[in-house]
Parts: sequence; structure tokens; C-alpha cells
Amino acid sequence: MKLADKMNEVQQLIESRTQVKPTIGLILGSGLGVLADEISDAVRIPYEEIPHFPVSTVEGHQGQLVIGQLNGKHVVAMQGRFHFYEGYSLEQVTFPIRMMKAMGVQTLIITNASGGINMDYQPGDLMMIKDHINLTGRNPLIGPNEDAFGVRFPDMSTAYDPDYRELAHKVAKQNGIDVQDGVYVGLTGPTYETPAEIRMLRILGADAVGMSTVPEVIVARHAGIRVLGISCISNMAAGILPQPLSHAEVMETAEKVKTTFLRLMRGIIEEL
Amino acid sequence: MANRLQQIEEGVRFIQEKIQLKPDIGLILGSGLGVLAEEIENPIIIDFHDIPHFPPSTVAGHEGRLVVGTLGGKSVIAMQGRIHYYEGYTMSQVVFPVYVMKGLGISSLIVTNACGGINRGFQAGDLMVIEDHLNLTGDHPLIGPNMEIFGPRFPDMSRAYHPEYRELAKRKAVELGFTLQEGVYAGISGPAYSTPTELIMLARFGADAVGMSTVPEVIAAAHAGLKVLGISCVTDKAVGEELEPLSHEQVMEMALQARPRFISLVKALLPEVH
Repeated sequence: MKLADKMNEVQQLIESRTQVKPTIGLILGSGLGVLADEISDAVRIPYEEIPHFPVSTVEGHQGQLVIGQLNGKHVVAMQGRFHFYEGYSLEQVTFPIRMMKAMGVQTLIITNASGGINMDYQPGDLMMIKDHINLTGRNPLIGPNEDAFGVRFPDMSTAYDPDYRELAHKVAKQNGIDVQDGVYVGLTGPTYETPAEIRMLRILGADAVGMSTVPEVIVARHAGIRVLGISCISNMAAGILPQPLSHAEVMETAEKVKTTFLRLMRGIIEEL
Repeated sequence: MANRLQQIEEGVRFIQEKIQLKPDIGLILGSGLGVLAEEIENPIIIDFHDIPHFPPSTVAGHEGRLVVGTLGGKSVIAMQGRIHYYEGYTMSQVVFPVYVMKGLGISSLIVTNACGGINRGFQAGDLMVIEDHLNLTGDHPLIGPNMEIFGPRFPDMSRAYHPEYRELAKRKAVELGFTLQEGVYAGISGPAYSTPTELIMLARFGADAVGMSTVPEVIAAAHAGLKVLGISCVTDKAVGEELEPLSHEQVMEMALQARPRFISLVKALLPEVH
């Protein structure tokens, strides 16, 4: 089935559930899904009810789409995302971006948890993504180009919208929140990196490292969606501190930074 | 995934029926280093292609069999020959033997390989203990559903090469009176050797040596909670600015020269691998 036909089926399903036409899409990373709970007049659609959506392989994964209002804006939020390391194809990983585009989304706020490579960062810092490095070894647009969705060779020179970044920094300042501004490098995972890899990534110009976001942003740009990226530095990357890395640490930090994250996100959405 | 676990289990069961002892230490013997397996006492030899789901090795200089027995007073299982990604196997196949060895009961893994020396201080014929690695294969053996029974979804790699084993190897080399280099191993897919510019890039990335194996196996070992010692045999100089043509025959020849030191080092350290 062609992508356009799949999109029609998804659109029909969503239109049968809600009249809301969201213009802002939200992808909520590890431990940051709580923002979706604050959406009012919410319609919730579990992923398994959406045609062509990847079937989750992760136990206890409660993925759902939440559509409704947040700070006066119509939004669609993904509570839970698909990662390449889970074994999905990149087409599957980025399918929700295509869906958001079909729903009318013009702005994507994409969030993630990442490891801090920049020595000036602290766990709990929020980082505006100013650019990314695709080190997944792949590109989600490999294959015949869907001309109806975007161009064969998408420009990536301002993948992370400069106006949005400026806006986000302004909102952070107004709210008294210190934020970083840095380059996110995307790897496949699922292992955390070795200390030698972290030193290499620092030489390459990366400030933070993670296992998501990059494929989604590439497809969003292909679709002409403007992107704001926010990363929660959940731990320092390997070799910086004398301790092993664990997923529990990532979740703990996300929990601690939750209030600040919510305040920042609400402020930004209001101003968009 | 259920299928994959089942395949590992079938591999384990097949081998268990043929051996008496429970191996404690696994050995993966790289290009030209397989001869160490011939020193194993009371060996039980099992060809890769007889083991259910085991991918056969197709490279010259790789025997493609398991040798189980005792060496240095330890119960060991040695892979004489290994599975490489460039042969066309999936990463999941490449690391299959690591999970089988874990299933047989090993708690430590000694991985060996032949590599190119990027560090200008290295000479062809040097042995190097691996301090850390760079995964530049463009792939990852743990992509897909996690096998929770072996390890966590997001394994830590901050001490993938066990620090105590590295110290042990260095101490034994001193006792044996030869130089043991230490450095970062960059794992690429191959099978082409690197271009001069690629080698210059790898040097800037912090690599001391480059090769086409080891990284996937060590990732799987870290996932499975195995303590790893990595030993590389520097078979050629891989300095981008001074690169000369290289053949597999040269690699094998230098591995041959380093072989006596390699064998004496592994035999000397095995009794102290805990």
C-alpha cells in the first residue's frame, strides 16, 4: 500500500474520533510523557487502534495519541515513541510524523532524554537542540521519494527552526529557567556509548547523545514541518563520572526536572 | 525473539551433550591465532556447522570449530575461528556464539583479533590489550527486542573491557619480558581495508588500532554481564600518511610472528582470570 493511501486510512480514523485540527505536534521522550496528561478536552487513541501504526514489542508500553487543547492551542501528542533499536524500520519509526503532517500539523516540538557530552552540562539541564548529527548509519528517506510529501534532497541547513529556538530561549528566560543550547548526536543504541566513543563524539562537535529524534526530524523537515527540539540531559555520558549508566538514572532525572520542563513547554506553546 | 532464545538454547543443549565440564572462560581466537586452541588439554572438538543454528565461518585462517577442555588449569571453551559481519551474516548471527557460551556457563571472555596499528608508536607484530572500543560498524547487535534473560535493554558500556583483566595482562607481559601496547580498537565492517584518509580520520577519532571484528561480540558480552579481556595482534601499520598496500597473507604472516608471545601471554594470565 502506498504511503498516501495509508495516510488516508489514518486520517479517517482520527476524524471519526475528534473534530480538533491540531497544528502543533508533540513527541514526548523518556520520562517526559507527563505533559500529555495536562491536555484538556483530550481524545486518547491507543496506538494499536491506529491503522499501520507499528505494534509495540515493549512490555508495559502504554503508547497513545492524545489530541486536545494545551495553553489555548490545538495539539496532538505522542505519549511514547518508536525507537529504531526496538527493531522497527525507520519508515515505522517516522510514520507518526507523516500522520501528524496529514492531520495538519505545522509545528513539531520534539523532546528526548540524552546523555551530556559537553563538560559544562549537568544532569537535569534542559538543552535547546541547535542542530543534530546523524550517526545512526541510516536515513529514513532512503527509497523512492514520495514527491507528494517532500523533495528528493531535503535541505537540513536550518532543521531546528532559528525563530523557534529564539522564542524558546526567551520563554526560558522569562520563567527564570537556565537552558543550554547544543548539538544532539543520534546513534542507534541500545547500548550506552563507551568512554572512547564519547571522546570521539566530543571531537565531532556533539554536546549531547541519544537514541531517537534524528530520524523523526529528518522526516519532519522533508514534510516541511518546522521543528523545535528540547533535550533533557538525564545523565552525564560514559567516562565522565566514575559510575555506570542506567535507565533508572534517566527516569529519575526526568522526574526531578518534570516541573521545570512542563512550565517551559506550556510557556513555549502559548507563545507559538 | 522467542525463536532466538530457543535457537540459543538448542545450541547450548547440543554442546552440553558432548562435553563433561562446565567452561568458565570463553576464548575467541582471531586471524592466525587459532593455534592456541591446540594447546587445550583433553579437548572435545565440535565443528561450527554441526551445532544447531551456528553460522559457519568462511574465512581462510579461521578453522570454524569449538574446542572445549582445560588450559592454564581453567575450564575453557575456545572458538577457533569466528563469525564476521562482512561475511554477510547479521549482527545477531555474529554474536550468537557469545550467547551460547554464556548459556554454557562462562563468566569471562577473552577476545582476540588481528588489527592494523593506527598509533604511530605501534610496530607490526606488537600485541595490544584493548582499553576500549569505537563501534564504527554502522550496525548494532542488540537492535530488536531485548532478551531480558541475558541482560538489560540499555547496557552500560563504561567498563566494557574489565579494568582488572587489563592490569593482569600488562603485569604478565612485564613478567614475560615483552612490550604490551594498550589502546582503543575501532571496529569497522570491512571487508575492504581502510583508505589512508579513513585512517587519518580514525586517528583523529582517538583510535589506536582498527579491525573488522570484536566490537559486536564485546557488546553482546557486556549485555550478558561477561567480564572481557581483549587482546589485539598488530599485524600491520595503518598510519594514513604512510600507508602501504596490504594483503591478508601479510596479516597472517605477522600473526605468525606474534604467535609465540600471544600464546605465552594467554597461558600465563589464564590461571589468574577469575
